[in-house]
Amino acid sequence: MQIKITKTGRDKPELLEIHCHEISDEVREIITFVRSRQGKLTAVADEKQYEIAVTDVFYIESVDNRSFIYTEDKVYETRQRLYELENMLNEKHFLRVSKSVVLNLMKVSSIKPALNSRFTAVLFSGEQVVISRKYAPALKKALKGRS
Amino acid sequence: MSFKEFLLLNMQVYCVLVTLIFATSLIVGLIFAPEQNLRYYHLASPFLMAALCTLPSFITYFKNEPTLKQYIFRHILQLMVIETVVLIMIEPPADTDSTLFYLMIGIITVVIFVLVKLMIWLRKYAESQKLTEQLKQMQKNA
Repeated sequence: MQIKITKTGRDKPELLEIHCHEISDEVREIITFVRSRQGKLTAVADEKQYEIAVTDVFYIESVDNRSFIYTEDKVYETRQRLYELENMLNEKHFLRVSKSVVLNLMKVSSIKPALNSRFTAVLFSGEQVVISRKYAPALKKALKGRS
Repeated sequence: MSFKEFLLLNMQVYCVLVTLIFATSLIVGLIFAPEQNLRYYHLASPFLMAALCTLPSFITYFKNEPTLKQYIFRHILQLMVIETVVLIMIEPPADTDSTLFYLMIGIITVVIFVLVKLMIWLRKYAESQKLTEQLKQMQKNA
């Protein structure tokens, strides 16, 4: 795929136009990446495609190599891998808290102690997410740096 | 928890154990042998006992994250090792009911074990409270 960049004046909106033979996985990935940069994620639920605002996401979980986006009342599936989402969203207060979960720190109401150096994050929805021993230092560092 | 953090935690546990063993010696001594005279070297025994009781903590160290079953099993094993060490090391004073003495020491060991675990949990609870405060601050600043 060739890339062509044309500078435009400040009076016109920025535009990303994709010319492709078909909407392949590669094209979908580009679209998802651009949307995530705009604060939106593309995901599927009930065989329909949705654009979810990043601010509505509570956490993202990977189960059997499939990634699921959890909002307050709905679960969506996305084609992207957890590590891709982690890299994309780490500037938006998202943090990896276990091998399979990336958590939106803005949706955490409190942190509770759990067994064996783990912590539990209690979300505003009432759900609880385990912060594993391995990722607890990263959380401490992140909160120290961002608070 | 890294091994370094684990060592630091156990140093704190050791200090708490020394204090609790001194307190236990006072209580058990007053009950079973209030008239007995002690020599200065007896004062070293809480330090030695605390060290011997801290060593089994290494049973509970996991390099990788344990399952809940593994975690509980290791802690029960730790208590059993501590009980064995304590009961082997301690001798009842002369003219005392040794069964009652050993029973009391066994119960006190369990109480101290629970107190130390409680102390570790409270430390972790304080840490989680601090993290929650930092989190609230971060959410406010965002």
